[in-house]
Amino acid sequence: MDIRVLEIADLPYVQQTNLTNLPENYFLKYYLYHAISWPLLSYVAVDISRPPKSPYDPPRIVGYVLAKMEEEPTDGIPHGHITSLSVMRTHRRLGLAETLMRSSQRAMVESHGGQYVSLHVRKSNTAALHLYKDRLGFKIDKIESKYYADGEDAYGMKMDLEFIRDELDEEDAAAEGIDEGDAVGDEGKAGKEVKKEKKRKVKVGRGLGVGDLVERSEVRS
Amino acid sequence: MSQTLGQKEQSLFQQIAKHYENKQHKRGLKVADQLLKKVPDHGNTLAMKALILNAMGQKEEAFALGKTALRNDMKSHICWHVYGLLYKDERNFEESLKAYRFALKIKPDSSDIQRDLAHLQIQIRDFSGYIQSRRAMLKAQPTLRTNWTALAVAQHLAGDLEDAEKTLSMYEDILKVPPPKTDIEHQQALLYKNMIIAETENYERALEHLDIISKLVYDKQLVMELRADYLLKLNRFSEAEKIYRILINRNQENRSYFAGLVAALQLSESQPDKLTEMYAEIASKFPRADAPRRIPLDFLKGEEFRKAADDYLRRMLTKGVPSTFSNIKTLYQDNEKQAAVEKLVLGYAEGHTPNNTTDEKAAKEKESFHGSVLYFLAQHYNYYTSRDIPTALRYIDQLIEKEPKSVDYSMIKARILKNLGDTKGAAQMMDQARSFDERDRYINTKSAKYQLRNNDHTKALDTIGKFIKADATGGPLGETIEMQYVWFLTEDGEAYLREKKLGLALKRFNTIYNIFDLWQEDQFDFHSYALRKRQIRAYIYMIKWEDQLRSHPLFTRASIAACKAYILLHDQPQLAKDEPLVNGTSADSKAKKKAAQKAKKEQEKTESEADKKAKATKKDLDPEGKQLLETQEPLKDAMKFLTPILESSPKSLPVQEVGFEIFLRRKKYLLALRCLLATKSLAPASPHLHSQILRLQHALETLETPLDAKALKTFDTEFKPLLPAPAADLNTVNEDFLHKHNDIQSVLAAVHVRQVLDPDTNRTQAPQDLVKAIKQDSTSLQAAQITLDLLNRWHLDTSSYVTAAHERWPQATAFAAS
Ligand SMILES: CC(C)(COP(=O)(O)OP(=O)(O)OC[C@H]1O[C@@H](n2cnc3c(N)ncnc32)[C@H](O)[C@@H]1OP(=O)(O)O)[C@@H](O)C(=O)NCCC(=O)NCCS
Repeated sequence: MDIRVLEIADLPYVQQTNLTNLPENYFLKYYLYHAISWPLLSYVAVDISRPPKSPYDPPRIVGYVLAKMEEEPTDGIPHGHITSLSVMRTHRRLGLAETLMRSSQRAMVESHGGQYVSLHVRKSNTAALHLYKDRLGFKIDKIESKYYADGEDAYGMKMDLEFIRDELDEEDAAAEGIDEGDAVGDEGKAGKEVKKEKKRKVKVGRGLGVGDLVERSEVRS
Repeated sequence: MSQTLGQKEQSLFQQIAKHYENKQHKRGLKVADQLLKKVPDHGNTLAMKALILNAMGQKEEAFALGKTALRNDMKSHICWHVYGLLYKDERNFEESLKAYRFALKIKPDSSDIQRDLAHLQIQIRDFSGYIQSRRAMLKAQPTLRTNWTALAVAQHLAGDLEDAEKTLSMYEDILKVPPPKTDIEHQQALLYKNMIIAETENYERALEHLDIISKLVYDKQLVMELRADYLLKLNRFSEAEKIYRILINRNQENRSYFAGLVAALQLSESQPDKLTEMYAEIASKFPRADAPRRIPLDFLKGEEFRKAADDYLRRMLTKGVPSTFSNIKTLYQDNEKQAAVEKLVLGYAEGHTPNNTTDEKAAKEKESFHGSVLYFLAQHYNYYTSRDIPTALRYIDQLIEKEPKSVDYSMIKARILKNLGDTKGAAQMMDQARSFDERDRYINTKSAKYQLRNNDHTKALDTIGKFIKADATGGPLGETIEMQYVWFLTEDGEAYLREKKLGLALKRFNTIYNIFDLWQEDQFDFHSYALRKRQIRAYIYMIKWEDQLRSHPLFTRASIAACKAYILLHDQPQLAKDEPLVNGTSADSKAKKKAAQKAKKEQEKTESEADKKAKATKKDLDPEGKQLLETQEPLKDAMKFLTPILESSPKSLPVQEVGFEIFLRRKKYLLALRCLLATKSLAPASPHLHSQILRLQHALETLETPLDAKALKTFDTEFKPLLPAPAADLNTVNEDFLHKHNDIQSVLAAVHVRQVLDPDTNRTQAPQDLVKAIKQDSTSLQAAQITLDLLNRWHLDTSSYVTAAHERWPQATAFAAS
């Protein structure tokens, strides 16, 4: 297995993986919208064990996390949102979902100054709840009744990402230790800036939705 | 000048435009009609009304009105602009482009028209036109950074890296004060410039540039990845190593980081000790990581491999990871490794003694380990390189007996049955697995797929319907079309093709074709959106992906199947009329009627829903694809599918093979030769070549009109050398070939040739030859099924063949005595 940033060429198989695993589905254009708006936030797990049948075989996707930043956060705080996460049953319990989630969360902080991440999960989805609550540290924020098309309630969950900023600082310190300060771009970090910005209440992202497309998927997700 | 309006009318006209922009179409329409009462011939108003009707989905009226508008006022840029927009909506880009150009000629300073023209140009990849438009837009608004970036993008896409870079630099020079670090647009433009420099392959410069900008961008991980890559390319290994270590600290499952680290350490698989050490060190730091434990199994050999595999397998099986086998099976490309793994896991199975420990926890762990071991073995003996189906069945039955309601166990059992050819039993078993966890969509999907493999369309729709809203437009089938379920449409279409229900098969493949059209169209909005979002790198990747969209296997597979359906329709035109013949018996007419009724009901549902919503989509007047079957030239229709796959996937063997079959039948011998030569270079040993060469030669020998001189010359130089002997008798050549080969592929190729040269002999000889071939150990079930299909197609007697096949695969549904 290989876990890396989602590339645009992955999208058809990501979409088919979503259709295979989850009842909340989207047009390809909605995936494109994610991949173009926040190209560093979504990740895929690729099955590298299958030899390609032709030179045109794109990587086989067995899991993905599709993520975004809230475009107009009502609380004014920049934060990420998990649009969709799933792993093929044949590849579950390998730790893929956990790595996908952690990678995405780090990018939310590093590239966009995200301070927390939110998501929705079915009340009955014990596997996902375990992952979010026990493994990753999400907290239940609220219950959204009849959130899903079939009438099931959702938990709205949230997780503070402050700790990732600390990790990134530590990483910097370590890198500087080796490198004596040159090299690995030790300054540009969204987190630091946004911390300052928070006080100034600068809004990240100006409502630039892709019209109908966003409307439809918002209803569905 | 165009028709002028009075002041009052002018203000009404402005209202229409405003309503249109705000998507208040009903209001807009009302005002337009009000205005038209006063000035019925007013071109611009008619044009605006057309635009509104178009947006409301009334495409035909809109188009008619757009034309009238233009006729009334040929000098109005609005009329031309609207005309262009209407054409664009119809995807007639050429006409649209022309109309925009006229509009722009009348009003050269209109930024709206210029913008629409530009987006169309890039959509159809008219690079030089796009550069021109972008230059004009930049000239009109040079203070907008986006306009500079867009010009660079245009130059970049046209392949002019140097100018693209220059354009970006020029803007940077204009900037008096460098933008603050929080300026995302600036960050992204800098990263984009770095991408362009890297594409010139001057990594020295790319690295230098990256070092300067790295302090200005937030995307640190991306910067690290780029930097490490450049350093590697510049042989600055120790610096690259440091970065790869940081990246691995972040993500221990990224294979490219490990590959980078190995390269940076200048290690290779000839130094397994050092590599092992490197991976072990990382593994010890990350107790949950898989990759550093799994990768060494790829390069280790012999005893070293055995030890590492032992550790790895015990760890995974103790943890009870159900995907252990999926993660191991690639190693089976190496026979020795396969044998070693088999021995290890069999050892674990034997080591299981009835537990006499009193420690309950230990006993439980042991029990779970044993379960994982048996589960692994069941999959192992079902895998094609290590297949021993009775053994696989023994293991899985043992597990099922202990845990009859396990989804995973029943799922594997279904897969085993599938490999026995028991498509019916497999579908039942998979559905049973589904019933054990009704909330898991993965197993639901699997069940539907197995039902389609068993040609059971109704059940499959019912199954996926369990996860589809009851009020979905057009029911589950409508949902699969609307939401782009390519997997379902492919399986459904292939099942119809097997049943020789060609109309429905072609219907599905056309739906997939349309989905790909839509995916191509989807990029349109992003030409402006990506620039506004400043995500230029992502946008470039999108363009590149779209340019080879149709090389995707999802497209190739459906298109090949469509070509096969058309070939069948050409070879057996009665299929368009008759009840489909399956194995010589008429298909169950009751079932068919039921299916037809269901289809009709679904269709009605689609219609009423569509009407209710007054949806813009045209309703499907031919849900069963009957019109598709009415074609007089099925092979010409097939070109719709064949042309794009030949263009985008020339190195795919099945594509070239199906191309040959179509061109041979169309008597396009040069094109057939081209496919044949491509097949030869892709698979020089393919038995298909024998059949292709002889059938093409036969066609040339029996030409009605001789080839022209140029074609003759090509055949002389390219084709003649492939023939066994000059002026040899094809029959003799074919029988010689048959004597020399006994594998089913070759025998089938020879039988195919004989069917063309001497069908009378084939009538008695083909079944005999193939019965002999089917008894070969190497014959796969799949090949045997394809063979049966061809025998049926040639109307040859299949009874002895089916008997022999049934003996060999007693469970196979395809050969079951009817
Ligand atoms: C939820 C899902 C994404 C988890 O994927 P995964 O790759 O198997 O998860 P991981 O292997 O990373 O699991 C990490 C942890 O999550 C928890 N977890 C995962 N699956 C679990 C299950 N079936 N039961 C209980 N806990 C589970 C465990 O704590 C696990 O750690 P462990 O294996 O060390 O005990 C996957 O089950 C899935 O795709 N389900 C269907 C789609 C879905 O429900 N998506 C979520 C929608 S909000």
